[in-house]
Amino acid sequence: MTTDIETIGMLRNSLERYVEDNCSFLQRQELMKEPGSFSQQVWSDLAEFGFLSLCLPAEHDGLDGDAAAVGALMEVVGQALLQEPFLMSAVLATRLVARLGDAGQRGRLLVGLAAGELIFSCALEQADACQLEDNRLSGRIPLVMHGDAAHGLLVAARDARGQLQLCLVDTDQSGVQRTAARLLDGRGAASVTLDNAQVELLATPNNGLSLVDNLQLLRDEASVALCGEACGMIRVLLDTTNDYLKVRKQFGKPLAVNQALQHRMADLYLLLQEALALTDAAQRALSGPVAERRRLVSGAYTYICDAARQVANEAVQLHGGLGITEELNVTHYFRRVMLLNSLFGGRDQHFLRFVEQSLTAA
Amino acid sequence: MSTQLLEKAQQLREAVRHFVAHEMPAELRVKSQRHQVLERQDYLQWMQLLERKGWAVGHWPQQYGGRQWSSLERFVFEDELARLGCPWIIPFGVKYVGPVIYTFGSEQQKQRFLPGIVKTEEFWAQGYSEPGAGSDLAGLRTRAVRDGDHYVVNGQKVWTTYAQWADWLFCLVRTGTDGKPQSGISFLLIDMRSPGVTVKPIHTMDGYHHVNEVWLEDVRVPVENLVGEEGAGWTYAKFLLQNERTAGAIVGQARHVLDRLKKQAVETRVDGRPLIEQPLMRNRIGEFELRFLALEQASYAGVLAMDEGRDNGGEASLIKIRGTELYQQVSETLVDALAEAGMVFDTEALHATPGLPLLGADDVGGILKEHLYNRANTIFGGSSEVQRNILAKVVLGL
Ligand SMILES: Cc1cc2nc3c(=O)[nH]c(=O)nc-3n(C[C@H](O)[C@H](O)[C@H](O)COP(=O)(O)OP(=O)(O)OC[C@H]3O[C@@H](n4cnc5c(N)ncnc54)[C@H](O)[C@@H]3O)c2cc1C
Repeated sequence: MTTDIETIGMLRNSLERYVEDNCSFLQRQELMKEPGSFSQQVWSDLAEFGFLSLCLPAEHDGLDGDAAAVGALMEVVGQALLQEPFLMSAVLATRLVARLGDAGQRGRLLVGLAAGELIFSCALEQADACQLEDNRLSGRIPLVMHGDAAHGLLVAARDARGQLQLCLVDTDQSGVQRTAARLLDGRGAASVTLDNAQVELLATPNNGLSLVDNLQLLRDEASVALCGEACGMIRVLLDTTNDYLKVRKQFGKPLAVNQALQHRMADLYLLLQEALALTDAAQRALSGPVAERRRLVSGAYTYICDAARQVANEAVQLHGGLGITEELNVTHYFRRVMLLNSLFGGRDQHFLRFVEQSLTAA
Repeated sequence: MSTQLLEKAQQLREAVRHFVAHEMPAELRVKSQRHQVLERQDYLQWMQLLERKGWAVGHWPQQYGGRQWSSLERFVFEDELARLGCPWIIPFGVKYVGPVIYTFGSEQQKQRFLPGIVKTEEFWAQGYSEPGAGSDLAGLRTRAVRDGDHYVVNGQKVWTTYAQWADWLFCLVRTGTDGKPQSGISFLLIDMRSPGVTVKPIHTMDGYHHVNEVWLEDVRVPVENLVGEEGAGWTYAKFLLQNERTAGAIVGQARHVLDRLKKQAVETRVDGRPLIEQPLMRNRIGEFELRFLALEQASYAGVLAMDEGRDNGGEASLIKIRGTELYQQVSETLVDALAEAGMVFDTEALHATPGLPLLGADDVGGILKEHLYNRANTIFGGSSEVQRNILAKVVLGL
């Protein structure tokens, strides 16, 4: 299933317009002073304008958006550094419930997720951190992004027979202890301790893939969504730095006239073009053969992670003293870019998988 | 000659090591090794400890209380402290303005200011940069106009490190507008308590307050606080920058963070195995060690050349470029190696006692703080670009 190009363009434009008015850098700076980690108002607006229904299946009147549609919105998320749990709840958790929940679970949960009334987060990386026995889950998850605000956690864990399961944990129960934390970029997270927490399993795959394959696919989808977000961040960093070099004068002329700096900007531009092309390719590969999917997703993620770092480092450097200040948007992108390295398995795991796939493909 | 120099420097290195292990107060050592926030009081304590060892101004001539260290001894001293994760030696008094005063200042200025600098009883700040004058320092516009026995100063300085703690500001001002931009500059010592001085904080991305704007509005500065001659300030400013040259701390910091990375790579586990067993990580550490080796050897060679008068002006740029860039990259890899613990940034924990982070080792918060702030290392003290320009122009004659 592909989302048609007009729909994607329309979605993207309307989200861009919304964030321009409601999630400007200054508004974000104000938000960061508040105790909560994101804006409830923005979250309910995103629901009201239908953005949280992007991944909702058609049978629930959702858009059933594909990877390109998700990527288009993630680019805007990156451009505006949105703090809200769009990716975790409206994309990843929604897809998991839609694909792995039984009819009852889908009916009970999906509408709440799309309405923003339910916020879910996912912890899929450390299946050995928790033990599952008789629908009770115990263990410690060191860090879950948006775990501080989540009503439910989707946790991958092994059962007594060693089989991978996907557990939904209601966070409002005595067996769940959360310590809230703030990530480098100010987004919320939590360290979670589970002590015989009651869970329900999402164990009814309805898309022809096994549960294990579903979890792998979802992790790939998450990584590709982050590629989109990274492209948005790279674009803003590049534009901001380019504009600054034209206006900042030293030695009686704009910094931009220094050829050494022009060449560095040219290199950053190349990185953006490569990142955009790789993101596109990885989005397409998500619905293709598994081996090719692995190679492209992991290649794209590794390259884009490194590219985003280089662009962020250069953006800071080329702003001089200004480049390390809290008041400049650049430092906030810098901090979010740092996180890319460790999210969803992280850069090195992808790189190793890319090498593996490239060697076996030959 | 160089064997003798090396031997003396090695003795100093061992003395420093002994001091840090046995004489440094434990509380200060723990705080600085965790890279927690140090306050004015901590720095005072630190500088006064060094002073009691005779090290705070070891590089000064004997007649002003120093030990007339060679460039190499000075380098090794700073290098070893930084390797061991000790607090920064705030340079504005002992390294920057002190030597300017004993070299170019009046007798009266020497008597008034040097004792307070040696003992760090007065804090100094450096008023060079302005909003319009960063890399192009000679573009500075802060004006000083003579009015009887005073200069009246108007203008704005920026990025002034620890101006919030400073008693005095050494300040470049424009007293003339004729000729080349460099020629109308003068070097003034300004009492921070003078009416018309306003300090406004600038917050940096590590969430702290290191730097400031300093506004100067009709500040009256007695003429006796002019150093040397009016209009000759650029010469003194350049002399001062030369005193930044043997920056051993740059090399020591790179070593410190590389050692920390190796430790972390043993502690972090991936699928139950230590991270250090992974070929990717071994390769990265190997590359860093290789670059460090080159940095260390080239630094020694450069500093020895200074002591033997064979230097060509490029030595300091080498240390600055290679050292700061290596430090930043190792630090980046260290943050990655912290895994989840490296994703959380809790500024509260850096102040509180005992100030331990939610995840990971005791110094995790400090590692992140340092990582965010060390992006400045390639910007201040002559940015990497400015250093490369120096190499191209001064050394290569391009
Ligand atoms: C943490 C921190 C502490 C500081 N502390 C002090 C202090 O105590 N006192 C003080 O006086 N100053 C201080 N500074 C100021 C510092 O010296 C300046 O930031 C530095 O000189 C750069 O100037 P700028 O910030 O205006 O950048 P700009 O000069 O505007 O430079 C912006 C970018 O362009 C590059 N660039 C500039 N010119 C060229 C060129 N010709 N060719 C190629 N590239 C070029 C620069 O390298 C930089 O990457 C501090 C700065 C920082 C970040």
